[in-house]
Amino acid sequence: MSLAHFEVHQPTSLAQALDLLSAHRADARVLCGGTDLVPKLKAGVIAIGHLISLKRVPELDHVSFSPDQGLVIGGAARLSDVAEAPGVAENYPGLAHACSVMATTQIRHMGTVAGNIANAAPSGDTAAPLLVHDAVINVVGPGGRRSIPLADFFAGPGASVLDSLEIIETITAPAPQKPCGSQYLRLSARSLVDIAAVGVAALIALDGAGRVNRCRLAMAAVAPTPRRCPEAEALLEGKTPDAGLIAAAAQALSAASCPIDDVRSSAAYRQQMVGVLARRALEHSLKLAQGGAQ
Amino acid sequence: MKTNPKLIGQSVPRLDAPQKVTGQAIYTDDIKLPGMLYCKMLTSPLPHARIKRIDVSKARALPGVKDVIIGEDTPKVKYGNWRLVPESQDELPLAVDKVRFVGDEVAAVAALDPEIAEKAISLIEVEYEELPALYTVEDSIADGAPLIHEESKGNVSLVRKINYGDVDGSFASAHYVREDTFRVHAVQHAYMEPCASIAAPDEGGRVTLWTSTQTPYIVQCLLASTLGIPENHVRVMKVAVGGGFGGKMELRPWEFCCAFMALRTGRPVKFLWSRKEDLSFGRRRHGMTLYSKIAFAKDGKLIAKDFQVLLDGGAYNAMGPTATFLCGTFGNMAYRLPAYRYFGRHVYTNKPPASAMRGFGAPQAYFAMESQFSMAAEEMGFDPIDLRIINAMEEGDVIPEVATVSTCGFKESLEKVRELSGWDEKRKNRQPGHGLGISAYSFISGGVFNWFNTKYNFSAAEVRVYDDGTAHLFSMACDIGQGPDTVLRQILAADLGLSIDKVRLTAMDTAQTPKADLGSWGSRVTLMNGNAILEATKKIKEMLIPVLFAEFDLNQIQDLAFEDDHIFVKSNPKKRMSFAQAVYKALRGRRGEPLVAQGYYTPRNKGLVSPAFSFGAQVAEVTVDQDTGLVKVDKIYTAHDCGVPINKKAVEGQLEGAIQMGLGYTLSEQFVMKDGRTLNSTFLDYKVPTALDMPPSESVEVETYEPEGPFGAKEAGEGLAIPTAAAIGHAVYEATGYRCKDLPITPEKVLRGLGKLK
Repeated sequence: MSLAHFEVHQPTSLAQALDLLSAHRADARVLCGGTDLVPKLKAGVIAIGHLISLKRVPELDHVSFSPDQGLVIGGAARLSDVAEAPGVAENYPGLAHACSVMATTQIRHMGTVAGNIANAAPSGDTAAPLLVHDAVINVVGPGGRRSIPLADFFAGPGASVLDSLEIIETITAPAPQKPCGSQYLRLSARSLVDIAAVGVAALIALDGAGRVNRCRLAMAAVAPTPRRCPEAEALLEGKTPDAGLIAAAAQALSAASCPIDDVRSSAAYRQQMVGVLARRALEHSLKLAQGGAQ
Repeated sequence: MKTNPKLIGQSVPRLDAPQKVTGQAIYTDDIKLPGMLYCKMLTSPLPHARIKRIDVSKARALPGVKDVIIGEDTPKVKYGNWRLVPESQDELPLAVDKVRFVGDEVAAVAALDPEIAEKAISLIEVEYEELPALYTVEDSIADGAPLIHEESKGNVSLVRKINYGDVDGSFASAHYVREDTFRVHAVQHAYMEPCASIAAPDEGGRVTLWTSTQTPYIVQCLLASTLGIPENHVRVMKVAVGGGFGGKMELRPWEFCCAFMALRTGRPVKFLWSRKEDLSFGRRRHGMTLYSKIAFAKDGKLIAKDFQVLLDGGAYNAMGPTATFLCGTFGNMAYRLPAYRYFGRHVYTNKPPASAMRGFGAPQAYFAMESQFSMAAEEMGFDPIDLRIINAMEEGDVIPEVATVSTCGFKESLEKVRELSGWDEKRKNRQPGHGLGISAYSFISGGVFNWFNTKYNFSAAEVRVYDDGTAHLFSMACDIGQGPDTVLRQILAADLGLSIDKVRLTAMDTAQTPKADLGSWGSRVTLMNGNAILEATKKIKEMLIPVLFAEFDLNQIQDLAFEDDHIFVKSNPKKRMSFAQAVYKALRGRRGEPLVAQGYYTPRNKGLVSPAFSFGAQVAEVTVDQDTGLVKVDKIYTAHDCGVPINKKAVEGQLEGAIQMGLGYTLSEQFVMKDGRTLNSTFLDYKVPTALDMPPSESVEVETYEPEGPFGAKEAGEGLAIPTAAAIGHAVYEATGYRCKDLPITPEKVLRGLGKLK
């Protein structure tokens, strides 16, 4: 189908953007990369009269990392910007990986991390690696600013707690406590240029004695929303990690997943793969953390 | 080996490439004509139903709608490519009594813009009486199954039998016998350009059609017969075509509807399919159930084969009859086989019609045969390549009732691929999760059996030469992306000794190019059109040779060479004349009659299948992740005999493309269907491998000089798409112990095969 007619607004400040959003309310959508939104408009899934582009809002176009501030991703930062930003690959390797292999080269140069999160697809690739880093979604709306832990952000497939009058201003994540290792693994039928059928992220931080003082496990495409699994994390936290504990945590994550049968995979296969990917991601994260401790 | 002109075998860059990569090439959807209307079609939402009532009054009343047609408005002439067997022609442009698959066309609208046309389609009311539907060949042939076409008892539309030698006796006395049943699935061509057409009315009730097709002559003839107008009142025109692979080689309903409504409204009518429609309703490769029993003697000689195939044809015959014939033919190609029995049945189901797709029955037949060769080799204690060499055809071999193999580089291909892949070494040092697999093939260079019942030669060429030193080729052959616009000019230029930029081309215009051409399928274009061109250039040379003989007062025993835009005496190259000057003098000598010559080619005395056969072998090297079941193809090695490659780069391109299609067929592509509906109708979920999935590849050409081909050339297009599935299947077995007999090899099947998936 061809695109229906709508008006495109190009505000040059965050304040203007918020005003426009309030003015058109339900008849408007925020556009940044458009890589999820435009196909939906074309398919007629979404019909609106106004698109409010954030591409010319300078306050949103940034990404940075510092040991004090941690990671700060502006609402308009593109996936490729985040993948290549200094400090990201070193401190958030899972996120850098997601941002450099998901979708296609063209889409990664258009699409944004904030858009990937706001789209709230169960299979969104940036969610799991951000979840293991305790990321926070900082939004701004007519009522001011608020911060939502990513773990509380998603409400269901395609749904989040973001109000239709709010804009994601930044996504932040604290600098990882060292020594630490993390990884995001995804599985799909095509090796690249494909949507994830299963995604798992892991993070392990060690104390001076080599015990796990923080473990994070998150999964994507195998539940109504990307989510963490505190039960699985708890199996490792406070313990000296070994193969048995890792296998148990991986098994717990697999058990906590609730995938569906669809055209991409069977539920049984997905559930089993959650365990495989979790074990691999934990082993790799541990190795990184131990390497960092030496 | 004969010496060829120097232009033969060169990697001449594609002459159409600059236009295509800069966006200047005109595809059907780029054409916009004054007053043009937009066509949309209403398709059946049900897999099998009787049409009780159609009410188009609301659609007709919608402002902007210029025409609405249903089956009853049309001449209701059935059509199909197999004109030789009229009862096989089972399609109507618009359904009349029944719909037989989800997507069967029921009505068409022409309106001022696509949105109005779409709206009008939604206003057409159809009352259906739903009928029980059939989705598998086994259900379709079961006793008491409902009939999809009343005239086809048991839902079998065509049977092909081959029987020679003492099959049962050989099985009884054999050293080793094995039988297996293989199931292969439907996949799609995934051509880059979805189907599209535009028809414009012409004076005197004639019509011109630009359409994304690989068979302009077939479309011309069948469109004329379905419209009920003389054949030459239809003109099918040149347009850039973005791929076909067998999926665009028939008359299609929108071609009829655009032309029919153009004639009714007096305005051009355009139709364009979306990718979603193409994936949901478009032609597919036949899924098949293949039972194969083979017997070997103790020395490894293949002695008998019993091959029984059920082809899942979907709702109509399309090119299914040819696939049914060829599947049987491919069942005994490549290897010497003294006793063979084939029983192939083309079966209707309530699914989108299957049709031709790159390899035309061969990928399926060879998946069965090559898998069995590898299994038999292991059980009989032979190296899999050795067992193939023991049985490989050789030059001069006769395929009973089919053909004589005039050139055959099969054994050399098998030896070369063994060497290229490091087969012996790697098999000695096997690594867990890692495997090497082999598969071979033989393929045709165009078909002989005249199922379309053309009254013309299979290929034709007209060559005109001018005193500006240029030549102009007229040919109905169509370049659908595979490269004949370049290769045919190369053949012409080579034979007349012209530089290739001196050769112009008018192609694929049924009103201007010589009659006729059967189209781009069956890997026929280079051989057949090349031969037609060489007949024409020979006549042109005969017009020019007297000029030089007169000019230089040459002795009868002298011979001339055509090179570098000149003609000269072979034994004394100083006696030379430019090609342009020779044409000028000939023109004067002919008192102004232009230098024009036609050439034709039809294979004769070449059996019933093909004038020439190509051969090849491929090794796949894979790594299988034992926990996820994911198969990674590390490398593909190919050695093949395509005769003399006319354009090396084009042959390489065919190989790369074939590997890509083979990967998808083997590992990632499949239709997920429920109740006759296709659930994965986007490229997000119909998983065609991308450039990033391509494994590295090495290849070597085993050159033979095919006497029946132009400059020794034979097939290089489809054959290469055949071996990949069985090669990967064998490699996966070597890596894991899991033997796949039902494509595709998905990670889940691998894990289940390893007993690792609960």
